Amino acid sequence: MKQSTLTLPNGKSITKPKSKTPMILSVLFILIVISSIITEADIAVLFTKADKFWSMIGDMILPPDFSYLDDIIPELIATLRMSVVGTFFGAIFGFPVAFLAAKNINSNEIVRFIVKACLSLTRTMPVLIYAMILTFFFGIGEFAGLLAITIFTFSIITKMAFEDLETLDMGAFEAAISQGSTRIKSTILTIFPQMMRTYITYTLYCFEINVRSAAILGYVGAGGIGYTLNQMIQLRQYDKAGMILIAIMVTVIAIDSLSQFTRRRLA
Amino acid sequence: MIKFTNVGKTYDNGTKALSNIDLTIDNGEFITIIGLSGAGKSTILRTINRMHEITEGVIEMDEVDIATYKGKELRNYRSHIGMVFQSFNLVNRATAINNVLTSKAAKMSTLATLFGRYSQEDKIHALECLDKVGLFDKAYTRVDQLSGGQRQRVALARTLAQEPKIILADEPVASLDPVTAKDIMDDFRRINKEFGITVFANMHHVDVALEYATRVIGIKAGEIVFDGKPEEVTEDVLEKIYGRKLTSDELLED
Repeated sequence: MKQSTLTLPNGKSITKPKSKTPMILSVLFILIVISSIITEADIAVLFTKADKFWSMIGDMILPPDFSYLDDIIPELIATLRMSVVGTFFGAIFGFPVAFLAAKNINSNEIVRFIVKACLSLTRTMPVLIYAMILTFFFGIGEFAGLLAITIFTFSIITKMAFEDLETLDMGAFEAAISQGSTRIKSTILTIFPQMMRTYITYTLYCFEINVRSAAILGYVGAGGIGYTLNQMIQLRQYDKAGMILIAIMVTVIAIDSLSQFTRRRLA
Repeated sequence: MIKFTNVGKTYDNGTKALSNIDLTIDNGEFITIIGLSGAGKSTILRTINRMHEITEGVIEMDEVDIATYKGKELRNYRSHIGMVFQSFNLVNRATAINNVLTSKAAKMSTLATLFGRYSQEDKIHALECLDKVGLFDKAYTRVDQLSGGQRQRVALARTLAQEPKIILADEPVASLDPVTAKDIMDDFRRINKEFGITVFANMHHVDVALEYATRVIGIKAGEIVFDGKPEEVTEDVLEKIYGRKLTSDELLED
């Protein structure tokens, strides 16, 4: 490998350290090969069965069953409803808890430790698992999905918010304390205005993620359009499944754009 | 009147921040504290409103030991002491008037604070305080749209809205340009003279400290090494405070 040495007119010279990139790339490649052997994932199948994949996609979109759209609109709305309500409640419940987890706001180490441990625990499970567990308790349907989204939103928004809180400027808070306000009042007066926009931004970001996951929660019976999608694929009604996928795509793109537009306005 | 008797402060890690501080501050004085960074200027200021606790001695305000205050009493005590900071410590996303109004929250319920239910009198008083520092027109401007000098004036108005007996100023002009710094110091002098509010400020710039003070305190390694009138601060005194002679370019010129 070529090493570049730069020399100054006064004789001082410095050698640029060797690049580590080729080494990292080769290690990465070896790891991928090893993991595919261990998991018995046959990479070759991606190429040998490619024609089947394309023919299925073809069945889905050439053409999709447009008349089916009317039937799935209510389910699409149910999916959105789950995401909106779930995100909303997750953000509401997460708000006070984020303050309990932030070192600069909550000085009680024991409470902070317990809150953070509980939060880590809620973050360990993906939303699909929550949905599955909740259908055992609340039965098949939208409510289990809504709760799953609430818990998922709560678990990530608290993490994002408390980390954000810990980086805030505490100057105004100190000033409010020095004027005789309680810690709670000082937080309301000086921390809320600083973090509100960010919190709303995080909520919208969670909402974007949630619309996507809400579309598949139906696979485990937790309501929404995923249930029908699963059925259509199993019945090999690919033109209808294609219509559902297109409807989901359009919805997700629309929500993403709207959310991004709002977030940019808030920034 | 504030009286320090043999006050000392040692941090948990053993560092001594203040020792043997004996000091009496009369109402209406304009005191500046000078000394090197880390000498304890900021600490001494913050012991008065108990943002920092002392470990030895007694501090009395109007003949009451301030260490006896707890909870609500402490907050009530603090509500009569103003504080101004080097970095202004304002809520930058809020308007000037809302920043001034934060000083009213000490006497409001948490719920009223949450919904920003300030009384009409409080709002009028906040506006009067902004008017006193010449920022009446900027009341509804967000603080992040204001200049450094204007921000420090908002902070001053916020302090005035407390109707304090004393204002503690922690390097109030250290992050301002020399011209703006003088303007702000003039505001302090006016507040001191017109309203009789005691001003206790620690200062970076020696010549500004000497120009505005009625009394100068020099502090070195946590101990008071000079206490007297600004006229009495000679080169020898400065050498004692700063450990070496100050050159003329280390003073802020006119």
